[in-house]
Amino acid sequence: MAAFRPKLAAVSALLMSVLVPLPSWGIINIGDDIELEGFVKTMNILKTGARPFNDGELTHQRNTAQLEGKYYFLRDGTAFNRFSTGPLEEATFTFLGRAVYDSVFDLRDSYDVLDGIGKEEYKVREAFIDFVMPPFSLRLGRQQVVWGETDNFRALDVINPLDRTWHGTRESWEDIRIPLWMARGIWDIGKIGAFDETFLEVIVIPDDFKTNKAYTDYPRPWAILGIGLQDQRANSVLLGDSLDDLYDLSVNVIDNTEKDTDIRNVQGGFRFKGIWKDVEFSVNYFHGFSQTPGVKVRSAGLIGDTFETVVETVTPRINVFGLTANYSEEKYTQSVIRLETTVTSGVPVSFAPGAPHSADVDGDQYDTAHQSVVMIGIDRPTWIPALNSLRTFFLSGQIFWRRWLDYSSYYRGTSFYEVKPAKVGGTVVPDRYISVNNDKLDQDEFVLTFAASTSYGAAGLWKPLFVFAYDPRSRGGYNKIQMEYLHSKHLVFRLEQHLYWQAGNEDVGPWGLGSWLAQPGIRRNETVFTATFQF
Amino acid sequence: MNTFFKKSNASSTCLIHTAPLIALMALSNPAQASKDQSYQSLRNWIDNAPVASEEVAPNQHLGIKDRALLEKYIPHTAWEYYFFDDMDMEITPTRHYPAPDDWGGEKADKDFSVDETGTLIGFTGGGYPFPEIAPDDPQAGQKVIQNMLWRPGANDYDMPMVTWLRSEGGKLDRIMEYTSVNVTYAHGHHSLVPGYEEVKSKQVMEFRSPRDMAGAKDMSIRYVDHYKENSGWLYMPAERKPRKTLASERTGELMGMDMIREDSNGFGGKVFENNWEYLGKRKVLATINVKTNPEFGGPHLWVPHKTRWEVRDAHVVLVKPKSENHPYSARIVFVDAETYWTHWMFAFDRKDDQMLRMNQHFLKYSEDYDVEPPEQAPYVKQDFNKSVGHQVFLHLGESDINAKKPHATMTHCYTNKREFTAARAKQFFSLRNMVSGRR
Repeated sequence: MAAFRPKLAAVSALLMSVLVPLPSWGIINIGDDIELEGFVKTMNILKTGARPFNDGELTHQRNTAQLEGKYYFLRDGTAFNRFSTGPLEEATFTFLGRAVYDSVFDLRDSYDVLDGIGKEEYKVREAFIDFVMPPFSLRLGRQQVVWGETDNFRALDVINPLDRTWHGTRESWEDIRIPLWMARGIWDIGKIGAFDETFLEVIVIPDDFKTNKAYTDYPRPWAILGIGLQDQRANSVLLGDSLDDLYDLSVNVIDNTEKDTDIRNVQGGFRFKGIWKDVEFSVNYFHGFSQTPGVKVRSAGLIGDTFETVVETVTPRINVFGLTANYSEEKYTQSVIRLETTVTSGVPVSFAPGAPHSADVDGDQYDTAHQSVVMIGIDRPTWIPALNSLRTFFLSGQIFWRRWLDYSSYYRGTSFYEVKPAKVGGTVVPDRYISVNNDKLDQDEFVLTFAASTSYGAAGLWKPLFVFAYDPRSRGGYNKIQMEYLHSKHLVFRLEQHLYWQAGNEDVGPWGLGSWLAQPGIRRNETVFTATFQF
Repeated sequence: MNTFFKKSNASSTCLIHTAPLIALMALSNPAQASKDQSYQSLRNWIDNAPVASEEVAPNQHLGIKDRALLEKYIPHTAWEYYFFDDMDMEITPTRHYPAPDDWGGEKADKDFSVDETGTLIGFTGGGYPFPEIAPDDPQAGQKVIQNMLWRPGANDYDMPMVTWLRSEGGKLDRIMEYTSVNVTYAHGHHSLVPGYEEVKSKQVMEFRSPRDMAGAKDMSIRYVDHYKENSGWLYMPAERKPRKTLASERTGELMGMDMIREDSNGFGGKVFENNWEYLGKRKVLATINVKTNPEFGGPHLWVPHKTRWEVRDAHVVLVKPKSENHPYSARIVFVDAETYWTHWMFAFDRKDDQMLRMNQHFLKYSEDYDVEPPEQAPYVKQDFNKSVGHQVFLHLGESDINAKKPHATMTHCYTNKREFTAARAKQFFSLRNMVSGRR
C-alpha cells in the first residue's frame, strides 16, 4: 500500500493538473497541437458463487486511470510549424498510458499469497507515430491491429495476444489486447478494374512476440487451473489399481515460449481489401507464432518413488490465411451480412496419454494441426415498437464454426486438466491428488452469439445491452445483462450481471462456457459495478 | 425563472394521469390555441397567408408584444416554442443572394430525365436540376426537394459542431462535439475524382466528446443514382475496426438526438418512398443570414434568440411516406424559393396527426464571412476567409424538437468552406482511412 500511494498520487496529480484549470469538457487542447483525453474508473466485481446471487465475494476493486494524447507535429506538409516536409503531409504521435491499482488486495487476506501480482499496473500501452504521405500511410510503434469481421471470437484477429487472466467480457478487447511493437503500412490504391476502395496493408513485427496471458494459480477466484478441485495441485500419479501404484508426481517445465531477437522470428502479414459489386472483401495472410503454447512431454517415468515428468512449452509457427466479406442487403432483410473464414496451420494440440504411435508419431503427446473457421454474422437495426418507440434495437448474431481439418480422436485440449482426489479401490487417499485431461476435442466446434442493444430516455442516456452465447456441443451458455447510464458529460455508471450455465452435459467444450466458467465452486457468475469519470 | 422551471417539471410528472383532462381543456379554451400542433392547424396556417397590410417592416426588433403580426410568419406548429416573454427578433430587409457565378452554366448537367415517382435519372449536378418550378406541375414538390438536395454549398466544408440535448426547463442532458468533413464529387460534366462518376458526395464525421463517443467516426457515400442506397461504415475505437452500416434504416432517433436521419435538412430520405404534393409558396420568417451562431432562448432554451430574421418566400412541400410503418403520417417542408435551403420542417405522428418532430435552420451567406465572421468552434480555430468568394450558404446550426417527449437538440455548426484536390479527397474519403482512428 505504501509503495502504491506515491505512484497513484503522481498519476492523480497529473490528471488533476490536466482537468482542473481548463473548463473544457471534451478532448483537452494544449496549444494548437496537443490533445489529451482519458478517464478515471473504478470497477467492482462481486462473484456470486455456485448459486446465482449467493456466496458473494468481492474479487476486484480495480481502479484505473488512463491518459491518452495526440501530438500533431506535422500538418499540411509543415513540421513543427517551421519545416517543409514535401510530400509528407501529416504526422502525429499518439500515446496511451494506463495505471491500475486493485484495492481488493488490501481488503482480502486470502490474496496475500499472490504477492501482489495483478495488484498494480503502470504501463504505456500504446505509443506510435502516424505518417501520411498519400497514397501511403505508415504507423510505427506499439499498437493494436485488428482484422476480420468476427466479434469477440478469434479467427483473423490474432495479431495481438490477449490478456485472458480474468477479463473475459468484463472489459472490451481494446483494453485486453496486448499491444506489440510493429510497423503497419498501407498503400491506398483506390479503383482497379472491377474493384473499388482497394488498399494493401502490410504489417511487420520484427521482435515482439508474447503469448496470451493466463493466471492459473489458485486462490485467484478467476483462475482457470482446470475443472474439478480448484484449491489443490496434482501431486500424485496412479499407474495401477493398488496403493503401491500411487506415486509422487514431479513436473519439470521447460519454458520454450520466448523468442530470441532473430530474423527467423519475425512475424508479419498482409491484407488486401476492397469492394466488388457492393461486396466488401479482404484477403489476409499472417505468418506468426501460436499465442497459446503447446506442451511437449520430453520424458516421463519412475525414478525411485517419484514419477518424474519433463515437459516443454512451445509456441509453434502458425500461418493464417483468411477471407472476409460483408454485404449490406438494404431491400429484403435490411441487414448487414458478415462473413469471415480462415485456415490456420500450426495450431498446437495434445494427444491423450497412451495414444498409439500411428497418431502420436513423436511420442511426446504433442502435435500441430490445421484448423478452419467459418463465421457468418448478421447485424440489423430493428424496430420493436412495443419495447422502444423512439429508437431501433441493434441486433447482432453470429454462428462461429471451428473445425480441426486433420482430426484425431486422440486430440486433447492443452489447457484444461481436471484435478481430483486419488482413489484406490473406491477409497479416497488422503492428501493425494491426480490430474487427468478429459478435454477431448470435437472435430467440429460451434458457438452461437446474439447481442441486442438500444437506448432509452429522452436523450438516450440509458443504454441496455443483452448478450447471449451458446455452445451447442457442450450445451454451455452465457448471458450478460448490462445497463449503462450516461449521467453527465463526465460521469458514466454501468451495472452488469454475468451468468454462466450448462444444460445437462459435462463436455468441457472449447470455450468452457458450461465447464470451467460455470461449474459449482468456480462459476464466474459476477455482478459488476463501474463508475467512470471521463474527460 | 426557477419558479417557472419547478412548476413546469411538476406538471410534467403528472402528465400521464392528467393527459385526457388537459386535452379537453385545450379544446375548450381559446388561449390554448398555440398549443394546437396538429397537421390540420399547420395546413390552415399555410392557407391563411398574410395580406398586404400585414407585412413585417424590416430594420426593427420585434418581441412578444408583436405576436399577432409574427404569427403570420412563424408556422403555427412552432408557436409553442418560438413565442416567449423576452423574445427578441431582429428583422432585416429581404436580400437577394446570388448563387456561384458558374452555377447552372456550361458545366451543369442538362441531360437527364425524371421518372414517374419524380426521381431524377442521370443528373450529375453543376446547377439546379429544375431552375423553374411551375406551381401546376404535378411533380413540383419532388422538383423543389431535388433542387434542395442538389443546392450549391450543400457540401465542401469543414464543419466542427457542438450539440446540446435539453429537456424542458432547459435542463442539459448531454453535450457532444464532433466534426463533419464533406466533399462534392459530382460537378455536372466532371467528377472531382476521375473514375468516380457514380459518386455524388462523401462525408466523414468524427466525434471528439464526450469520451464514451470520442474517436467514433463514420464515412458515408451518396451516389448520383438516387435509387442506389448510400454506403456507410462506422469505426468504433473500442472495436478498432470499421463496421459496415445499414443505410436504408432512416427512421430511428440517432444517439439520443431529437432527429432521425430522414429529417436531415428537412428531407434526407428517398424521393420514391413518398407521395408528394406542392402546396405553393408562403412567406415565412427565416434565420437565413444570421450574424453569428445564435444563442438559444425561450423557457426551455430550445430556439434561436436575439438573432436576425428575414421574411422569405418559401416553397411548401407536403411529403407523405408510402410505408404504413413509417412513424410520420406527413411532413411539411419550407424550402427557400431562391436558395433552396430548408428553413422549417414539421413532421406529424402517424398515430394522431399531431406534431412529432420539427427542425429549423440557421444559415449564413459566405460573402458576409469577412465583414461579420461567425463564432469560432470552442475546440478549433479556422480561417473563415476561406469561405469568402464561394457565394453559397453555410449551415450554422439548427433546432430539432421532439414535441411528444418533449425534448430538443440544438446544434451550432462552425462551418468553413474547404476545397479538396482530387488526390486529397481520394485519400481522405477512403475505406483505408476507416481502418484506424485516433485510437
